[in-house]
Amino acid sequence: MPTPLGRRQFLTGLSALAAGSTLAACSGQKSSTGGTSPSASGSAAAAPGEKITLNFWAWGTSQPGLVKAWNKANPDIQVKHTDAGGGTDSSTKMLTASRSGNAPDVGLVEYTTLPAMIVGEVASDITSHVQDIKSSFTEATWGQTTFNGAIYGIPQDVGPMAMVYNETRFKALGIELPTTWQDFATAAESVRKADSKSYLTVFSPQEFGNFAGLAQQAGSSWWKVDGDTWTVGIADEASMKVADFWQDLVERDLVKVEALLTPQYNKELNAGQVLTWPSALWAPGVIYGAAPGQAGKWAMARFPQWTQGDARVAYQGGSAAVVTTSSKQPEAAAKFAAWINSSKQGADIQLGTGQYPASILGQQAAVASKPPVLMPQQEDFWKLASEIAAETIPSISWGPNVNVASSAFQDAMTKALAKKTPLRDALSATQEAVVADMRKTGFKVNG
Amino acid sequence: MTTSSHAAPALTTTSGRGLPDRPPPRRRRRSWAPYAFVAPAVVLFVVFLLLPIGYAIYLSFQGLRLAPGGAFGRRVQVFVGLDNYKAAVTDPEFLAGFGRLAVYGLIAVPFTLGLALLFALLLDHPRTRARRFSRTAIFIPYAVPGVVASLLWGFMYLPSTSPFSWVSEAVGGGAIPFLDLPLLFPSIANIAVWGGVGFNMIIIYTSLRGIPVEIHESARIDGASEWQIARRIKVPLVAPALVLTGLFALIGTLQVYGEPTTLRPMTDSITQTWVPLMTIYRDAFTRDDLPLGSASSVLLALGTVVVSLLLLRITQKRAFGENG
Amino acid sequence: MSASTAAGVLTRPAARTTAARRGRALPTAVLLAGALYCLVPVVWVVVAASKSPDELFSTFTFSPGTGLLANLRDLFAYGGGQYGRWGLNSVLYAGVGALTSTFVSALAGFGLAKYRFAGRDAIFYGILGGVLIPGITLAVPQYLLLSKVGLTGSYWSVLLPSIISPFGIYLCRVYATAAVPDETLEAARIDGAGESRIFARIAVPMMVPGLVTVFMLQFVGIWNNFLLPFIMLSDQNKYPMTVGLYTLLAKGSGEASLYSLAITGAMLSILPLLALMLVLQRFWQLDLLSGGVKG
Repeated sequence: MPTPLGRRQFLTGLSALAAGSTLAACSGQKSSTGGTSPSASGSAAAAPGEKITLNFWAWGTSQPGLVKAWNKANPDIQVKHTDAGGGTDSSTKMLTASRSGNAPDVGLVEYTTLPAMIVGEVASDITSHVQDIKSSFTEATWGQTTFNGAIYGIPQDVGPMAMVYNETRFKALGIELPTTWQDFATAAESVRKADSKSYLTVFSPQEFGNFAGLAQQAGSSWWKVDGDTWTVGIADEASMKVADFWQDLVERDLVKVEALLTPQYNKELNAGQVLTWPSALWAPGVIYGAAPGQAGKWAMARFPQWTQGDARVAYQGGSAAVVTTSSKQPEAAAKFAAWINSSKQGADIQLGTGQYPASILGQQAAVASKPPVLMPQQEDFWKLASEIAAETIPSISWGPNVNVASSAFQDAMTKALAKKTPLRDALSATQEAVVADMRKTGFKVNG
Repeated sequence: MTTSSHAAPALTTTSGRGLPDRPPPRRRRRSWAPYAFVAPAVVLFVVFLLLPIGYAIYLSFQGLRLAPGGAFGRRVQVFVGLDNYKAAVTDPEFLAGFGRLAVYGLIAVPFTLGLALLFALLLDHPRTRARRFSRTAIFIPYAVPGVVASLLWGFMYLPSTSPFSWVSEAVGGGAIPFLDLPLLFPSIANIAVWGGVGFNMIIIYTSLRGIPVEIHESARIDGASEWQIARRIKVPLVAPALVLTGLFALIGTLQVYGEPTTLRPMTDSITQTWVPLMTIYRDAFTRDDLPLGSASSVLLALGTVVVSLLLLRITQKRAFGENG
Repeated sequence: MSASTAAGVLTRPAARTTAARRGRALPTAVLLAGALYCLVPVVWVVVAASKSPDELFSTFTFSPGTGLLANLRDLFAYGGGQYGRWGLNSVLYAGVGALTSTFVSALAGFGLAKYRFAGRDAIFYGILGGVLIPGITLAVPQYLLLSKVGLTGSYWSVLLPSIISPFGIYLCRVYATAAVPDETLEAARIDGAGESRIFARIAVPMMVPGLVTVFMLQFVGIWNNFLLPFIMLSDQNKYPMTVGLYTLLAKGSGEASLYSLAITGAMLSILPLLALMLVLQRFWQLDLLSGGVKG
């Protein structure tokens, strides 16, 4: 009973395996358009009656509502929303996906990461698609997504810097609300004297964006480009001034050195042991998320200034919607991005979830909105917010390797705080790392 | 071509069933069989291990450099020779990571093996009770994913949720600084030890069970204490199992990534580049410099291979005697 | 021997002295201490999962809370049932992956063990060398390769790379050598059975305990894997439990209530593996691991 069956069985099995994999490969082919063949010229409108499907990667509580509203109003252009993680995770994934042309049609990108996405050829130039909504945003806001005259994204939200503080505890401990940084230092002293378990605020070496904003408020410009030559100002005088200021507070044990939003920090927040968070307008939502029991006890005030009477603040955070180079339907994608970020409906949804819209329309609508859940008692919250938004410094720009700067900063600061060496040196180390990295890539850098 | 030589005698002797010898064609049929058996594994190995490694090596010689175009220029991939390797080898953070690995490994490996051996010996001890329960309990951590284990221990270390700190605070001391240096190293090593003891214990234990009972029975009769039996008889006989578990522990140490990453949000003492794999992740993903990440990975992989081979070489002589 | 045993029994001191009793208690005590050490975090997570978000940071660690049902409810409601999806995904990846992997490993192990052919050692040691490569080195190139055939982000992208298991092949080879006698194979060949039938009808049944071990090891390995799915997948609905929990934790820093969900989720995630191991306990044998090293 010879069994050529044996051989046949084997070959059948092997070829089945191979065939199966190939089949899977073919059927697994992802396309961002559902069933339509994209026209070569890239014109958006699908042939009438055909449906376009767009992929949208974004994080944050406002996104599902925005997508739902769009889908309802636009049956011919349906958007599929995916939460690919927070800012850093999402852009990392987008970069990797873009390498093989698999990035989503539209993605949310933080302003700080945008230049890197441009250099990495993920964000595409959409100047021609957004002409009609240019007037929906102020020039300062567009400045965050415009480079060398080309527009690379549509701003969704902005984070003008402001200070949220625990009004109840301030009153209880008899602390005066500081309006300058000098007052801030004094207040920090008073807090420590009044309650040895409490601190005016927390200083975290991980907060790159926050520190950059502080430096920018003091007059620093961390990246500047003139033609094709860059100047990196991470270790300039203004930044050093800020570093020295916080170093003093740390040395005198007037601020607590720890990471934000850890279980430890949250516990302290809940117990009223952290009294302020100098950050940005989106802070109330975050504090509420970590400490819902604090509702009604906090309020928002202007950021402390270096000179009494000044009114200048930087941005912290905020993101824009970009159309990626992988998109096969750039015009439809741009239309979607424009709508969610500049329409009245979009603005209402944003405000409802605590996002401060970048659009003029949204900011005007904000004034009429109810205050955030964290401070229902502060009736003039949004009015103050729009004043602050008007005081932001328009000329802030980021460089092509913010991610390098961020990780170098965090490491250098952590080490300096642990070893108690000057924070100035940490800034210098960051500057060196950033310049070296830019030069290695081939950028021309001054100095 | 050749069939297994040990089959030849069977062919020429009668198999006891009265059947005549088979003609040669069967040899030919059998000669393709092994290739067919290993084919799926080989194909998968090539596609999912060799090709990626090859690609990683290829990438390691590339770099992303600026080319004209776009708002600031674009980054394109070009050949850069050994630049990435030079950068990796001279990066103080990358090297410091290895230093930390050494400290971490010096705690994690001996403790994992030592405890695994201890528990295995205790399980084998004639007078131990609660064997079933203990064995199962000690094996449970194996079922816990690394991320979850780090999460659990992270909360056990954090002052505000730690039962240990609760006790120490109750008796008047402060919270125990598990997540600050110098306790940081034992704390992280502890997570790996906790997760690895059970699995390694079972390996050693089953090896112990393989020792013929007569050997230690006679020693017992001669008056040897359990301790002496363990030291002189059992441990040497399970040496091969110890080598195996030691090898696993070593490889695990060199590739540690999950524990420090998960704990990082909870403490400032863990930097972004605390261990080499974190540096690689940062370079490859956060800094979007895949070629540099690939070069560092190749270096790490080479290091792992070298150390493993060294370990096998050294222990082979001792554990296996002439069978090496 | 019996004479000396009898003599030994007569001359051995009574095991009732304090020293002897202590000697009996000590090994048990140490072992139980070890068991306690291993169980403490597991007990912690069960207790912590019973606490509501407020109680989590304010009550003593080991006092049970009141929020277990609420936590469970919130957990499964999160994201429209994402946790349940994550669980199913993990079962899919680990189940199908481990099954296929065991099959491939069995084939290869058997082939390597029971035949001598050109390139056998090269293939074996080559495959074994794969164990030494850090997963992260492979992750991105695997991603890039899979994206060239358009598979990234799909279930295949996590399943396919999980099938090849050098360690599984090693174990299967060891077990095939130990458990499948050549004589049986020869007898079958003489009876005219083809190689594939020999494998399926004779070798596999003999290798079952080893195969169960390999299956279990692969299942646990794939279930616990974090890096591969993290890199391959971007759609949260396809995440396995590990990546899903990490996402919850990462988001949890901004929303404290998510911590409770993450903890409850972590607790639940351990249960299936535990169950699997306890059930399969009588089947798997790890002696082939140590036995293999003896050669």
